[in-house]
Amino acid sequence: MPKVKLNGKEIEVKPGTMLIDAFKQAGEDIAHYCYHPGLPTAGVCRLCMVEIEGNPRMQIACNTVVTEGMSARNNSDKVKEAVRWGLNFHLINHPLDCPICDQAGECGLQDQYMKFGKYTPEMSEQKVKKRKVVSLGERVVLDSERCILCSRCVRFTSEITKTNELGIFNRGDHAEIGTFEDKPLNNNYSMNTVDICPVGALTSKDFRFRQRVWYLKDASSICTGCSTGCKIRVYYNEEGLFRIKPEHNPEVNGYWMCDKGRDIYKHVNPEARLQEARWGQVGNWQVKDIAEALREAGEAIRASVRDSHHSKVALVLTGQQTLEELTAAVKFFLSDLNSRDIYHWINNPEEMEKFDGLLFRGDRNPNTKGLLSLLASEKVSATWAQLEGKLNSHEIETLMVVGPEDPGVFPDLAAKLKLFAKAKRLVWLSSARVAAVDQVTTATWQIPLKSFFEKDGTLVNAQGRKQTLRKIATLIPAAVSVDQAVAVMSGREKAVPMGKFELNWKKTNFFVGERGSL
Amino acid sequence: MFELSREGIEFVKKEMTRYETKRSAVIPCLFRVQKENGGWVSPESIAYLAQLMDVPERWVQEVATFYTMFNKQPVGKYHVQVCCNISCAMAGGREMTDKICQSLGVEEGAVSKDRRYTVSRVECLGSCGTAPMMQVNDDYYENLSADKAVKILRELE
Repeated sequence: MPKVKLNGKEIEVKPGTMLIDAFKQAGEDIAHYCYHPGLPTAGVCRLCMVEIEGNPRMQIACNTVVTEGMSARNNSDKVKEAVRWGLNFHLINHPLDCPICDQAGECGLQDQYMKFGKYTPEMSEQKVKKRKVVSLGERVVLDSERCILCSRCVRFTSEITKTNELGIFNRGDHAEIGTFEDKPLNNNYSMNTVDICPVGALTSKDFRFRQRVWYLKDASSICTGCSTGCKIRVYYNEEGLFRIKPEHNPEVNGYWMCDKGRDIYKHVNPEARLQEARWGQVGNWQVKDIAEALREAGEAIRASVRDSHHSKVALVLTGQQTLEELTAAVKFFLSDLNSRDIYHWINNPEEMEKFDGLLFRGDRNPNTKGLLSLLASEKVSATWAQLEGKLNSHEIETLMVVGPEDPGVFPDLAAKLKLFAKAKRLVWLSSARVAAVDQVTTATWQIPLKSFFEKDGTLVNAQGRKQTLRKIATLIPAAVSVDQAVAVMSGREKAVPMGKFELNWKKTNFFVGERGSL
Repeated sequence: MFELSREGIEFVKKEMTRYETKRSAVIPCLFRVQKENGGWVSPESIAYLAQLMDVPERWVQEVATFYTMFNKQPVGKYHVQVCCNISCAMAGGREMTDKICQSLGVEEGAVSKDRRYTVSRVECLGSCGTAPMMQVNDDYYENLSADKAVKILRELE
């Protein structure tokens, strides 16, 4: 293990470490744009300059491997001066349109400028005009003038997705990134280029101009868009959820996540949600108190069991809920009702096993593995065909369905609801507002569930890793988790603890006073 | 739709085996494409070459846009490149360019109406000892004067 001395601090690093990683390991600040730990080294921004003892000239830390006994520093005046000039060169053709730029607040250029800016610009020449507001596919917008040619996005499309859409065209001042003949950048990972762009050159069509980033609070969570279970950061404020970005998790997703996963905030926001408990059928719906609805639904389920010799109830589960919730529902049927009629609703059987080789899986449920292992350990082996048979012969009196959190990934939703409507009574638990449920012709209770944003729990991803979901805030006060619902349905509890709307994180600029002084 | 001749395709295949990486073969292949495409590389020809070489289109596009020797716009039958770098400029290269454009009735960089000429100013062509000079397609014409140059150009077939 080589020992190195960085800014006077002595640390031990793994052999083959790049100097910039060693600086980060030592907790020393080091300026950089083009370096990204998930991408190959380019060494084009020339900002991570360090002075290495015994070396007459400064070197870039991102492309220098540490050697035994190396002593380097980046806090000398010589280095600071070099970074200052490097930064000034980056700004020669940068438009400095921060007030109207979407990246402002999380921009690498702004951050470094606060530390190393020359403040008095010495460039009196005209800036080179380049293309602005270029649509690069469905999700990304390009502003060439803001680009500092760090080539992170180009390396991403060539090394990570291997789709090679982006390139640097022309030369010198006129060099700009783009795609060949403006072909759209429509791979499923295009939004990662927006994340890694250190400036506002690539911005997200979905998030553009919707919020200033300093008005957003963020929290760590797990993506529920597919069975990979990427670690994510959710950005929100009092007005709702606004975007999702990947967080580093070397075991699951590395630094990246797919574009489809970025849409999952949309079905968590209140406008897409089932807001209150309802009872009735098509054309005639009544809003009910959540505890009352649950007591009634529970009574109906238990009555169906009590009044007959064989089970007239059934439970349908999806891989969309947490392990704790699924366990509670299964236990309710096995021990309280003594019924083994538990069925797994597979939403897209043809796609289930698909995997794109990077992150995205065809199984769009975050917890299919968890549900399958739970059913296996309880030795529940009922098949979907059995349920269809029972429903078609009207054997089922009360059907309980723990429905989807994201109805968008259930292409068979309408067809399945028609099948469910063959039961005499339906208990439908779902966090999402599904228009097709309002058309159901059988007596139905609609119970609002909590989304992944609002509950604690465990999800088992496709690798079999157990990942913990943490509650961030409550958006729908009436919503319950399945275990809370089951507690009331089984009669163990009389009421559910009512949630409070907690998304009251006020839009305040917490950067005020923390930034550098001018 | 642009396609290389049979010899052209053979040339590309041979070039690809000549270097360690395919990327290195892009320049010679692109030159061949330019020659067969009437002096310029069109987006279609770039896409065609990329497909032929089995490399991403952006690799070829990056090379084509980096070098000025690849013409991204159509050129006339005779692409006249007049050197205007130091030696030639001192010997009247710039004035000669203006004169040529005027006499041939063509704007600098554009194609003449009869599609015969495109005149462009270029940097050093490495013939400083014989300044001023110009290159017409692949041939050098040296020790010129404006009148001489126009005469040569007029007399081209």
